[in-house]
Amino acid sequence: MRDKTGRVLVAVAAATLLLGFVVACEKKSEGGGGAPAASGAPIVVGSTLSLSGAFAATGAIHKIAGEAFVDRLNAEGGLLGRPVRWVVRDDESDQAKVSMLYEQLISQDKVDLIIGPYATPNILSAMAVAARHKYVLPQHTAVLAPLLTYECQFPGWSIGSTPNEFVPNQLLDAVASLSTPPKRIAIVTNQNGSTDFVSYGAGDNKVGAVSITRQRGLELVLEKRYPPNFSDWASLATQVRDARPDLLINNGLGVDPVNLLQAMAQLNYKPPMMFSLFPAPGPPLGLGPKADGLMSVSIFEPNKATLDRLGAKATAVVNDFKARATTAKLPYTVFETQAAASWNAWEILVAGVKGAGKIDHQAICDSLHSNGADTTFSGHLAFDASKHNFWPPTQTIKQIQNGDWVTVWPKDRAAGELRGPAA
Amino acid sequence: MTRRGLIGIPLAVALLAALSLYRETIGFPLFYLGLLTTMLFWVTQATSWNILSGYSGYFSFGQAAYVGVGAYTTAVLFGRHGVNFYLTILVAAALCAVLGLAMGALAFRLRALRGEIFALLTLAVPFILAALARINPAIDGGQGIIVSIPEYPEGIGLFQDYLYLATLLVAGAAVFAAYAIRQSRFGWALSAIHDAEDVAEGLGVATFRYKLQALVASAVIGGVGGSIFALQIGFVAVDSVFQLTVPLFVIVMSVLGGRTHWIGPVIGVVFVVLVQDRLTASGLGRWQLIALGAILAALVVVAPDGIYARLKARPLLAAAVAVPITAVVWLVAQPLDGMLAGLLAATAIALWPARRRPPPSVDRGVVDTDRSPIRVDKSSSDGEEAVVECRGVTKYFGGVRALEGVDFTIREGEIVGLVGPNGSGKTTLVSLLAGSLRPTRGTIRIAGQDLAHLPAHRVAHAGVARTYQIPRPFASMTVRDNVAMAVMFGRSPLPLAAARREAQRPLDVVGLGALADAYPSALNLHQRQLLEMARALAADPKVLLLDEALAGLNPAEIDNAVQVVRRVHASGVSIVIVEHLLRVVKALATRIVVLDQGSCLADGDPTEVLADPAVVRAYLGRRAHARDS
Amino acid sequence: MSTIQAALSGILLGGLYALMAAGLSVTWGVLRVINLAHFGLMLVGAYLTFELASAWHINPLWTLVVTVPAMFVLGGALQLAFDALRISELNSLLLTFGLLIIIVQSVSNIWSADFQRMTAAVNPYATESVRLGRFVFPVPTLFAFAVAILIIGCAHLVLRRTFAGRALRAYAEDRAVAGAFGVDHRRVGVLLAATSGGSAAVAGMLFSLGSSLTPATAYEWFGTVFAVVILGGVGHLLGTLSAGLLVGLLSGVVSVVLSPATAPFVLFSLIVLALLLRPRGLFAARTAR
Repeated sequence: MRDKTGRVLVAVAAATLLLGFVVACEKKSEGGGGAPAASGAPIVVGSTLSLSGAFAATGAIHKIAGEAFVDRLNAEGGLLGRPVRWVVRDDESDQAKVSMLYEQLISQDKVDLIIGPYATPNILSAMAVAARHKYVLPQHTAVLAPLLTYECQFPGWSIGSTPNEFVPNQLLDAVASLSTPPKRIAIVTNQNGSTDFVSYGAGDNKVGAVSITRQRGLELVLEKRYPPNFSDWASLATQVRDARPDLLINNGLGVDPVNLLQAMAQLNYKPPMMFSLFPAPGPPLGLGPKADGLMSVSIFEPNKATLDRLGAKATAVVNDFKARATTAKLPYTVFETQAAASWNAWEILVAGVKGAGKIDHQAICDSLHSNGADTTFSGHLAFDASKHNFWPPTQTIKQIQNGDWVTVWPKDRAAGELRGPAA
Repeated sequence: MTRRGLIGIPLAVALLAALSLYRETIGFPLFYLGLLTTMLFWVTQATSWNILSGYSGYFSFGQAAYVGVGAYTTAVLFGRHGVNFYLTILVAAALCAVLGLAMGALAFRLRALRGEIFALLTLAVPFILAALARINPAIDGGQGIIVSIPEYPEGIGLFQDYLYLATLLVAGAAVFAAYAIRQSRFGWALSAIHDAEDVAEGLGVATFRYKLQALVASAVIGGVGGSIFALQIGFVAVDSVFQLTVPLFVIVMSVLGGRTHWIGPVIGVVFVVLVQDRLTASGLGRWQLIALGAILAALVVVAPDGIYARLKARPLLAAAVAVPITAVVWLVAQPLDGMLAGLLAATAIALWPARRRPPPSVDRGVVDTDRSPIRVDKSSSDGEEAVVECRGVTKYFGGVRALEGVDFTIREGEIVGLVGPNGSGKTTLVSLLAGSLRPTRGTIRIAGQDLAHLPAHRVAHAGVARTYQIPRPFASMTVRDNVAMAVMFGRSPLPLAAARREAQRPLDVVGLGALADAYPSALNLHQRQLLEMARALAADPKVLLLDEALAGLNPAEIDNAVQVVRRVHASGVSIVIVEHLLRVVKALATRIVVLDQGSCLADGDPTEVLADPAVVRAYLGRRAHARDS
Repeated sequence: MSTIQAALSGILLGGLYALMAAGLSVTWGVLRVINLAHFGLMLVGAYLTFELASAWHINPLWTLVVTVPAMFVLGGALQLAFDALRISELNSLLLTFGLLIIIVQSVSNIWSADFQRMTAAVNPYATESVRLGRFVFPVPTLFAFAVAILIIGCAHLVLRRTFAGRALRAYAEDRAVAGAFGVDHRRVGVLLAATSGGSAAVAGMLFSLGSSLTPATAYEWFGTVFAVVILGGVGHLLGTLSAGLLVGLLSGVVSVVLSPATAPFVLFSLIVLALLLRPRGLFAARTAR
């Protein structure tokens, strides 16, 4: 009796080890992937993400969002009845590797579909490869619309085809609705491509935050540009303080607003209102009350009011993401703009394939142009080739209130009320 | 050796090109083409770096500057304004040449500039250029520039093929240039600069000119590579081209492969790119840089000269092990895995510590003592010509007075002993005579020519040669080649082959004929000093400065050295010998000059001078008395 | 007014640069080792401060109790390895570069490449400042300035007044002769490298008080720190201190007077000029050669 049990145990252990080994090997040569629930040969989606290097922080968000999406998709029956497998390679935040890896995925691994990487320069490189092979490329975060010229590229995040006009106008409209609208405006800009674009336009189109501020008759009291690896925030903060603006517009990214807020706090100063364009969402919250009132752009915040409006599925997705992100030890586990943009991109891909009924890129592209795509977080998207597929922006403005990001504008989509200058 | 490269490199390029031109016929996967393109880009950059930094030893951290200038030139002119793409490559080359000239003209002018400071100077240049590009909207202004695909000839196929062929051509040209330089006079000069720059200068190598040439060559190659790179990435932004990764990888690749040979960077590139690719493909991307860092650290310790130098020692064994391993892994897994495995195996074999072969037996006694090569060109004068004239020579180092008002003359055929206690200024005087220092006041004439008007490397041509107290041979060259350098760059320069033949004579004079093919590391101290003398002699000098050439020798060696000096003198060379050993000085010198605390204390017949009480007091103190030793 | 405030803030920041550069400068000048891993030690020190302070909910300053001994040991161990392997000056550059790559990637693997920053609850110093009339001195950099002066000042005195210090200077000038006089260079060298490591831990902690951390920060320090080392004269502590303050000052003033975008351009161009005209450092005394 004991022998038998022993033998069974050994057999089970060996089988488990073998299985584990196989699964591990499988995992070794792919990035994401989910256990297929639907049947048949898997549809392979290939992409790269910055899993190491400068963009890795946000790359991690897209990886988790993608994995969550694919798992959910497979649990609901897959795509065209077949399971979906996602192969993601690490492009190490290196633009040169992106081109090579996408070539590898398309020509060598012969993936069925592709989806975009993270960060504008990488997306542009991937777009070039996609265009050569005529593969449809849904991408999550590139917003420099004028540069995204490939007609089968579809953005998951749209601030319109002219964000340099849209964003400043939306912001100034929002603050104009306050009882004491700001009159003195300071604009400090990070010289990175996308942020600089929103402030100054590009090429022949010189419209941007700076010109729009003047056009609206507001007083531009300070205008400064700083390079991406800037570290002398104290001097910039001093200049802001001395300019006494009513609204400080920081078209910056990453931890720029945190550095700026901190430097200003050291001078015992805080501008009455402040806006930052593409901050990393977590760090400002870590500043505590000093960051209250900071505004930024968003396409989605998981505020209760918003989730109630969107329904149960949205809430489930948000919670699932939070659980996965916590396990992966991400510093900021909230499902917000970046993750939502990722989700949009995947939903665009799926909608296109379903609309075409087959894996044929021309058909997918046409279907998306004719029918658009339905998304959980941004509603129905319509793609207009003349606008480089950038759909009318559903962007909102969010603000830190009581230690959390809350959607505050436009009023019909707000979950909270825009707060003016602190008394 | 020369033939092999001349045929080998173009052949390799042709074969690689065929992979693309006949890609569909042979079914060569497109992905490999992409991988090769990446490798070829790095080969260009690593070779470019190596031409200056590997060959001459001046480490540059500024490779990104060339890539950036090249990429932006193409991006702005072609990407934004539609200028002909090939024209932009020429403009990029020209701009980089100017950049190189500017950097070199500023940095190499200063003699005090150590290699490390040059490295950090080059680190600053990409920062400046990047900031410039960012500030200036005509260049970038922060937004980045899209570069589209240029028109390319019909028969080439896809854009990937075109990119590959363009990168291949540039890389091939770069490697060929590195190869050609290495074989040429230019390459020898760079090696000498690498091993001992001031010695080289003393031999007549125009170090400033050669370093500048190497820098410009490096810049032009890097810039052209950058132009093609702009096509590869399709979107040029400041952070993608001016980033620190470029110089860092280039350094890793060249160091791994081997810095002194033109093929080193190629090996390093293949190694690094393969390792990176395989690690990424198997999902271990997060370990990639750790693996590279560990490999670099390990190699610097175990084989700082790089893999190639070790591979060269046992090529057959390495191949015999690598090929089967490659084949096996290729069949089991992917071809690339196979290649990486083979490369790793070959490296392991190469790095395996060699059995210590006993050093070549160099019998101390076996130094030919009885040869008598008399130089044919005895000048007709009877020894009255002044070969060296010093008038009022004074040298201050800041507040320290090394020499004060020294007057003396050396006539043809003399052997002048220069003696004096430590710190009396002997070595300073020798350095002044050799032209490596300039006097604060006073004049020095060699054979009638005022030294002050000559740049350092021309002083050798004026007829002065010196040896160093601590022998400084060119460690990477054989004994014969060390001597040949003096002939190649001396007063009547000869090409390498002829110089090597000429080198035999000075070697025979000092008695090192039998060791001509050994490397300096295998020589003992005495032999190295003899090598110094031979090298100095080969420069065909009018006056030879021997700076404590007998330091550290045993009595037998000293006797031998004295014989050698006599033979040298007999061949018609005037000699200044700085020496502490009074018996040697008395045996050799026709005249003695005594220095004490920077001034000339005595000058005249050896016996008289050495008996002079003032001299005795200066040397030995008040209570001692001179004794023959 | 903004200019003066910027100048003051810049000088304080310069103190931090000086402290970062001091350890590197001394080991370079005395031991002839260019230790790029110093940047790695500072990075790890900063991250450890972040991790320990956040996890144990302690004042960041207390983390020094752990980080300083740890980096001290690492620094000393590294020097022992250098001695044992007889590494030349340029090869030390390459070897430590390899180590730096390993350290940065490991930090990224452990803490992710995202921005990490101590929250306001853990680190109250980030937004505090000291006021003097119209002028404000931010606490993190004020602290860094004070600590830098203290440490560099003490180190300078040690090198000048104590036997160990003199032994080190002798060793720096002429190894062989110092050895002949009985200076056990190995022990003293290891001690020096270990102390340098300790200073890296302190610099890392001070940096983390005022900034967000990301693994690439180690590379971002290169430019400024090397500039300070060279301008101050390799191995000269007081020179390094002065150079650090100068660099901070210039950076701040140019930011305000011209624009933040031109600051790096101006700064590096000035450094290039200074290097070419005074390669031994701006503050180095004229020594006899």
